[in-house]
Amino acid sequence: MSISKYYFITKTNFKNSFAYFYDSLFSAIFIALIVFVFANIWTVVFRANPTGVINGFTLQSMVWYLVVTEAILTSQGRIIIQIGNEMITGEIANYLNKPYNYLFYKYFSTIGSSITTFLITILVGGLTAFIFVGPVQINPIILPLIAISCLLGITLHFTLMSVLGIFALWIEDAHSLAWLYQKVVLVIGGTLAPLDIFPAWLSAICLVLPFSFITYYPAKLFVLFNLNEFIQVTIIQIAWIVGAIIFAQILFKVISKRVSINGG
Amino acid sequence: MFKQEKSIEMVSVTNLSKSFKLRTPQKGLANKFFRYFKPQYRELKAVNNISFSLKKGEIVGFIGPNGAGKSTTLKILSGILFPDGGKVTVCGLDSQKNRKELAYRIGTIFGQKPQLWFHLPAIDTFNLFSRIYELDQKEYKKRRDYLVKRFEIEDIITQPVRKLSLGQRMRCEFVLALLHKPEVLFLDEPTIGMDVVIKKTIRELIKQINKEERVTVILTSHDMGDVEDICERVIVINHGEIIYDDSLKKIKEKYVTKKIVRLQTNKPLVFTKREGIKVIKKTEFELEAEIDTTKVSFNKLAAGFFDKNDIEDVTIEEPPIEDIIEKIYKEKPKNSHK
Repeated sequence: MSISKYYFITKTNFKNSFAYFYDSLFSAIFIALIVFVFANIWTVVFRANPTGVINGFTLQSMVWYLVVTEAILTSQGRIIIQIGNEMITGEIANYLNKPYNYLFYKYFSTIGSSITTFLITILVGGLTAFIFVGPVQINPIILPLIAISCLLGITLHFTLMSVLGIFALWIEDAHSLAWLYQKVVLVIGGTLAPLDIFPAWLSAICLVLPFSFITYYPAKLFVLFNLNEFIQVTIIQIAWIVGAIIFAQILFKVISKRVSINGG
Repeated sequence: MFKQEKSIEMVSVTNLSKSFKLRTPQKGLANKFFRYFKPQYRELKAVNNISFSLKKGEIVGFIGPNGAGKSTTLKILSGILFPDGGKVTVCGLDSQKNRKELAYRIGTIFGQKPQLWFHLPAIDTFNLFSRIYELDQKEYKKRRDYLVKRFEIEDIITQPVRKLSLGQRMRCEFVLALLHKPEVLFLDEPTIGMDVVIKKTIRELIKQINKEERVTVILTSHDMGDVEDICERVIVINHGEIIYDDSLKKIKEKYVTKKIVRLQTNKPLVFTKREGIKVIKKTEFELEAEIDTTKVSFNKLAAGFFDKNDIEDVTIEEPPIEDIIEKIYKEKPKNSHK
């Protein structure tokens, strides 16, 4: 695998993402609204709690947790629909006759645009959180480790979405899968609220599912960092990613033989 | 040297078949519901046992009506689709087993599926493709500059593609497809949606590139003007089967059986009616007649006529290529395409 071509794909899409700068900015304004609403909800909840701590989370860490989860979740756009539509409409023809791996191409291309969206969301969401609940106490040394954790979360998110996107060819529609998946990550993946506040039995199930390694763990490590947990989470993230990549490649190989390429 | 090159086989297709499974619609509410659990399919044979080969530097028109199987064949050749049966080699490589290897040696332009990045200037996509095809950067820049000049797009490659006209965009698409010096070029409806002037420019460029770089070109088009203007050889496909494969000249010889001749003379017309000539209009100095070339030799007839008359003006009209192809579709001489 030639790394340089994939690096250039990322670079080109990073440049291309500035064409969608305002799109990202308007999405980030929506994030600001979500952060504002949740900042108010959590303020009321924490006011009712005399200790000021719920399952290890303070008001600030709870809101900043949401900023990170939203930044990871919204950074990639609608990959399931994108890949699904490319498979269903035959748009994939333009990728299959090129000397690269289709899924790697999509991944490195996605990373290029994710960087811009992720940073804008962190900036706008972070600013909103700072205004309404104040700063979160973190050690700046951990930031590179959090960046790794977020990148792995984004990668896992991509690989799971690409599996569903490929699968869309079977059911001939990607929208329903995309809707379902987004809700799963939003709720049982711990995007809206940390899994720690769920009932113990539900939390135990959610914590072992791959969805929690997309947003929950990276965001939790950001506000409540623990080196041992970081190492453990990183290993499991990598394991899920490798598993999902292998599955996606096999699925793609099998299903690409069924692609009928419309329009001719 | 070209003679030697001409014998190199660039594309070889043997007994190629491809079918698609289409879900059959069900009647009645209950059947419509149960089709999700037990769908019924019918088989559509898109390509049915076709064989042909192409030599280096050949430029071939692959024509047929909608759904004839031409694009399916092209997509199998370029490694995008998997055939059900038969053998396909392009540049000596199996187009399915060696798909990635083959990608370095072929170029594709799908008129309806642009490859340029819409929001970026064309030069950014050129640069990206130079990395994707792992080109030597020095060589690439030389090649890019040459093609940019050749296709006269120097002033537009730094503008975002979305701001370019269709013709400008298509010229950029051609440069993109030619950057890595492909040996075989697949063109699927390359002039679709273009006006007459741009079509002419694109056709000229295809011919020139074919001549200069000896690249083998396979072209599908609904526009017979493309085929007539560019291709030496035509493969006519219908219902997934090849129904004609020969030179454009021979098609005309075989299928053009009637010609309309209009004459104007300076002196009174000397004309003897005979079998094979149907007079449409005749005055003292004018004649319009339909000549049946199966009954009378057009060349001999014309020579005799020119001897006896003082001709001022003459026009000979042949049926358009569309009509000829339609005639071939209707005749459909199965398994006898030569």
